[in-house]
Parts: sequence; structure tokens; C-alpha cells
Amino acid sequence: MTRLNVVLLLAVLASALYLVNLQYESRRLFTELDKAGSEAHRLELESERLQLEKREQATPMRVEKLAREQLQMRTATPAITHYASYADAAVVDSGKAGTTARYETRESAGPVR
Amino acid sequence: MSRSIPYTSSPLLASRTPVWRSKLVVAAVAIGFVALAARAVYIQVVANAFYQRQGEVRFARTLPLPANRGRILDRNGLILASSVPSPSIWAIPEDVQRDEGQLKKLASLLEMPLAELKRKLENEDKTFVWLRRQVDDPVAQQIAALGIKGIYQRKEYKRQYPEGEAAAHVVGFTNVEDIGQEGVELTFEKDLAGRAGSRRVIKDRLGQVVEAVGEEIPPVDGRDLQLSLDSKVQFFAYQKLRDAVLKNKAKAGSVVVLDSITGEVLALANYPSYVPDKRRNLSGEQLRNRALTDTFEPGSTMKPITIGMALEAGRVTPQTLIDTSPGRFSIGGFTINDTHNYGTLTVEGVIQKSSNVGALKIAQKMSPQEMWNTYTALGYGQKPQIQFPGAVTGRLRPWKTWRPVEQATMAYGYGLSASLFQMAHSYTSFAHDGEIIPVTMLKSDTPVTGTRVFSVQTARAVRKMLEMAAAPGGTGPLAQTLGYSVGGKSGTARKQIGKGYASNKFRSWFTGMAPIDLPRVIVCVMIDEPSNGQYFGGAVAAPVFSEVVQQTLRIMGVQPDMAVKPQIVTAVEESL
Repeated sequence: MTRLNVVLLLAVLASALYLVNLQYESRRLFTELDKAGSEAHRLELESERLQLEKREQATPMRVEKLAREQLQMRTATPAITHYASYADAAVVDSGKAGTTARYETRESAGPVR
Repeated sequence: MSRSIPYTSSPLLASRTPVWRSKLVVAAVAIGFVALAARAVYIQVVANAFYQRQGEVRFARTLPLPANRGRILDRNGLILASSVPSPSIWAIPEDVQRDEGQLKKLASLLEMPLAELKRKLENEDKTFVWLRRQVDDPVAQQIAALGIKGIYQRKEYKRQYPEGEAAAHVVGFTNVEDIGQEGVELTFEKDLAGRAGSRRVIKDRLGQVVEAVGEEIPPVDGRDLQLSLDSKVQFFAYQKLRDAVLKNKAKAGSVVVLDSITGEVLALANYPSYVPDKRRNLSGEQLRNRALTDTFEPGSTMKPITIGMALEAGRVTPQTLIDTSPGRFSIGGFTINDTHNYGTLTVEGVIQKSSNVGALKIAQKMSPQEMWNTYTALGYGQKPQIQFPGAVTGRLRPWKTWRPVEQATMAYGYGLSASLFQMAHSYTSFAHDGEIIPVTMLKSDTPVTGTRVFSVQTARAVRKMLEMAAAPGGTGPLAQTLGYSVGGKSGTARKQIGKGYASNKFRSWFTGMAPIDLPRVIVCVMIDEPSNGQYFGGAVAAPVFSEVVQQTLRIMGVQPDMAVKPQIVTAVEESL
């Protein structure tokens, strides 16, 4: 009888200690999770900031200025544009003839995100 | 005699201890226990709530979970406005270390003179001083790296506008609390702002979160808003407008570009403008979204509408002859003049030459009620159905109060007022084959259904007249573009000052569409008080129209409908 009691006492003690340990561990992990969460949030904001910076570097104003001043480009007009329909582009094998038309459509559609 | 006596034989033991003494001790101990028990009962039962609360105050915290403000995007998904973290720097003056070198570095990071920083930190009684609100994130990190005691940061967000002044009037801006103040930021504040959430946590001694208590209310981020604006079109429109305003030494200008198929606003720009994230020394002049908030008498740009309704009512045909000689017409004590005596003109010619006399003679074939009905159907005197703060109604008096002279002047655009935006909107009726379509600032994929004002034939006839007016021989040949057929009407109106009209202050504009057979865009340009010699709409506003149309159609990928003499015929031709 006494032996059984001793065994049970030990079991209770062990379980209590294990509980303490588990509680500690759970709090530690929660802290870590929380930290990771805020880090994720920070990175998200950082990515937003960088996206914005990228966008700021590519505003039409800046692109136009660089194209004009550094690359000596000029604005395209219909006089210097060769328009080709998609049907034509399919007939002519290489992309050469279709370049302008494709460029035009891509330019007007380009989603950036 | 020995001094010590054995314990057992101590005489003290022999004396009898009184019973009350031991009872007293027992009673005292018992009272002690009772007191403890009572205290325990008090803490655990009676004042339980109080202690629970106090404990919670010491370790439980409610953390706000801020919602991100939605972004504003253009029709292609390019960012027009977005929030980025931008910490504010504050200090507790008495805690700040007075280290000259460190403070100098801090001052340079905060972009303020050292003296000013010291002045801010002077008053040691204060426990809170803003040093600078909303610095850039990298700068804030550098400040944190300095590790000066008593300098703290508060997490805040700042709105950034990559398009800057070009789109300022449409996008608007937010205040330092990130709440919309102007433009779309204000109109769609509810959608953009989102809802902040919160959660309750337990923090340990070091301030680390160790446990979440109860339920977390997740934040609802603001919705991203996609506008109908095309940032390229917007930028080019703004740029051309700015150049024209500066070149003509004008006071201001506006331009509106509408997609005449979907009713979307592709661009809406005003000059002078401002940079939304640098708003110091901002004046009302810069802030005003003139295209929507300023009304004026539309002048000659109303003539196509007058003619349109006369055609629709069957009172005239495009070839009906109207005698405009001698270029003057007297009515109700007023004399109405043309710039030249045009003699006899066809209805088409009235638009082409922009004859006031011709327009009023055509209007006289109509009743005031008919005119009022058409104007109202076209949105004059009505608040534009657009989600934008400050859009004005303009003025159109009820037809019963019109005097004959007013009916006559309305034919060529005096005696009623409208904003540039309303004018652009009314022209959708010509561009959309007689239907006036609702306009929107938001990108829409659904096809629009308009309200029919003119028949298809009338709309086509008026478009043909507009084409003639914008061609050589008309009033706005400078509106011509390379490759695209255009049509439009110039306008020049004296500005109303007080009771009369100023003799030397004008507003010039040009309203038109392209390509004329199947219009894709409507462009309206207004230049306020051009004062560099030229003031006619055909000379001042038409060139802006031409450039904006040219760029817009190219960006939209519309193929030219007119033959253009190619200037490059090299390798491309051979490869075909």
C-alpha cells in the first residue's frame, strides 16, 4: 500500500514539474511566434516601401526626362511608327513586322505589381 | 557552592505555571490564524475583482492591430498612393544625454539646425516633445542606431504619392493622422481606411508577449482602390497643360480626358498644382480642382449643342442656309456681334466659323422649354454624378424666367455656367452616338448604358461639323494631330467680373474628340486668362488638345485612321 502511494506521489510530482516546464515552453514559443509575426509585418511594410520606391523611380516624368536627356530619344508619332495588325504578324514568320503593334499593346496594358 | 544547578532541580520548574498563560498563547495563535483566514477570504472573495483588475493592469495589455490603409492604383495597377511606415521622433528632454557630438548627428539626421534641436530640448519640465513627425524609415533606423537616451520613436504611417503634382488634384492627400482630406482620399475614406483590430496579451517583466488572452479582433485592411486614371495619360496631359499655361502666361488651366466608350476619366489635371506629400505653403489657388469646382460661361463650345437640338427637333438640316449678315444682331436692347461678317452660312458653316448670330438665329427656332430640357438632359445645372468632393452644379435658370435675349445668348454659351467637367460630360452625347453616358473615376469593366439625347444621325452630323471646325478653314486648325482625325470646338469667353464682362480677361478652351468617326476619347482643355498676346481658344487651347489627343491615343494603342506620310521607310519595309 505504502509503495503504491510513493509511486503515485512521484507520478504526481513528475506530472506537476512537466506541466511547469510545458507552460514555460508554451510561453517561450508564443513569444517567438509573436516576434516572427511582427517581423513578418515589418517585412511586409518594407516590401511596400520598396515597391513604392521602385514606382517612384519609374514615373512617366522621370522616364521621359531620362529618355530625352540621356538616351536622346524622341516621342513616337504615327509618322515614325509602323502599325501592323496581329493577322499580319502571324503571316510574317519572325517578330520583326509585329514588333510595333505588340509593343503598343504591351505598353498600354502593362500591369506592375 | 557551585553556581550551576541541574536543570531538573531548577526551582523555577517547581513553581506552578498559571493555566491562563498557556491559554493566552493558544488564543493568540488562533487569532493569528483567524486573521489570516479572514484576510484570505477578503482577498479571494470580497475584493477579488479589485485584485484581479490590478493584477491585469500590471501584466495584461491590449495591443492595437492597425489596419493598413488601402492603396490607390491607376487603371494599370500602378501605385498612385500608398502608406509607408514613417516613424515620428519624440523626446523626454530631462532624460536626454547632453552629448554634443551625438546631438549634432541627430540634428543633421532630423534636418534641423543644432540650435533648434537644443531649443526644443531646453524646457526640462516638459515630459514630451515632438522632434520631427514622420521621418523616412531609413532615417529613423539611423536615429535608433545612435542610441541616445531619452529619444523615442512612435510608429506612424505616411502617405506617399509617386505621381506627385501630376495627379494631385484627383488623388488628393491625407493628413498626419492618415485620414483623407482631399480628392479620392477623402471621397473613399471609408473604403481605404479599413478597421483597426485589437488583441489582449500578457506581457512578462521584459515586455515580451507571453500569452494571448481571449479572442483577437483581426484588423480589416483598407480596400485597394483602382481608379480609371491612366498615369501616363495623366502625366502627359498635365505636362502639356503646364507648358501651355506657362507659355501663354496664363493664370491657370485644366484638362479633362474621358474615354468616350466607357465613360471613364482617363486624366483630369489642373495647373497650378502641388506636391501632395510636401504641402507647406500651400495656397488655395494650387489646391483647387478647377475642372470640377470652377464654373464659367462655356461660350462657343455650347454652339454644337444648340445646333444638335435644332437638328434633332427637325428645325434645320446641316445644309439649311442661315443669313448672318451684317454680323450684328440686336435683341432686347443688346447687340450681338460676330468677329467678321460671314454673310450667309450653312448650319455647318455656323459651327465652322463659330458665328454667334447664326447660333442665336437657330436657337430662335426653338422654344425655351425645349432648350432647357436638352441642357438638363446633358447635365447642365445638375450636380455631376461623380464621386468627388466639391463638384459643383453650375447654373441653368428655369426656362420660365428666360428673357428673349437670354435665350439668344445661351445659344452661344452665355447666361449659363458649367464646369469643364460638365462640358466634357455633355460632349459624350456626340461621341457616344447620341447617348450621354455616366462618367466614373473608378475603373469599370461593365459596358455602360447611356441615356439617349440625340439620334445617331444627329450625333454624326454634329461630329462632322466638329471635324470641319477643327480643320483648316475652321476656328481650331491647330487641334489637328498626326494620323488621327479630330473634331472639336474652340471657345473664347470674356470673364465676368462683378456685373459686367472684362474687356481684357479671357478664358479660352477647346473641347473635342478623336478619332472622329468612332470617338475613343474626349478631351477638354481650358486656359484661364492667357495674357501673352493670344487669347483665342483656337490658338491657346487647341494645341494642348492636339498634343493630348496624340499622346493619349498612342498610349491607348489606337491605330491612326488617317494616312500618314511615313518618315521612316527602311529595314521594316524590306522585311515585309
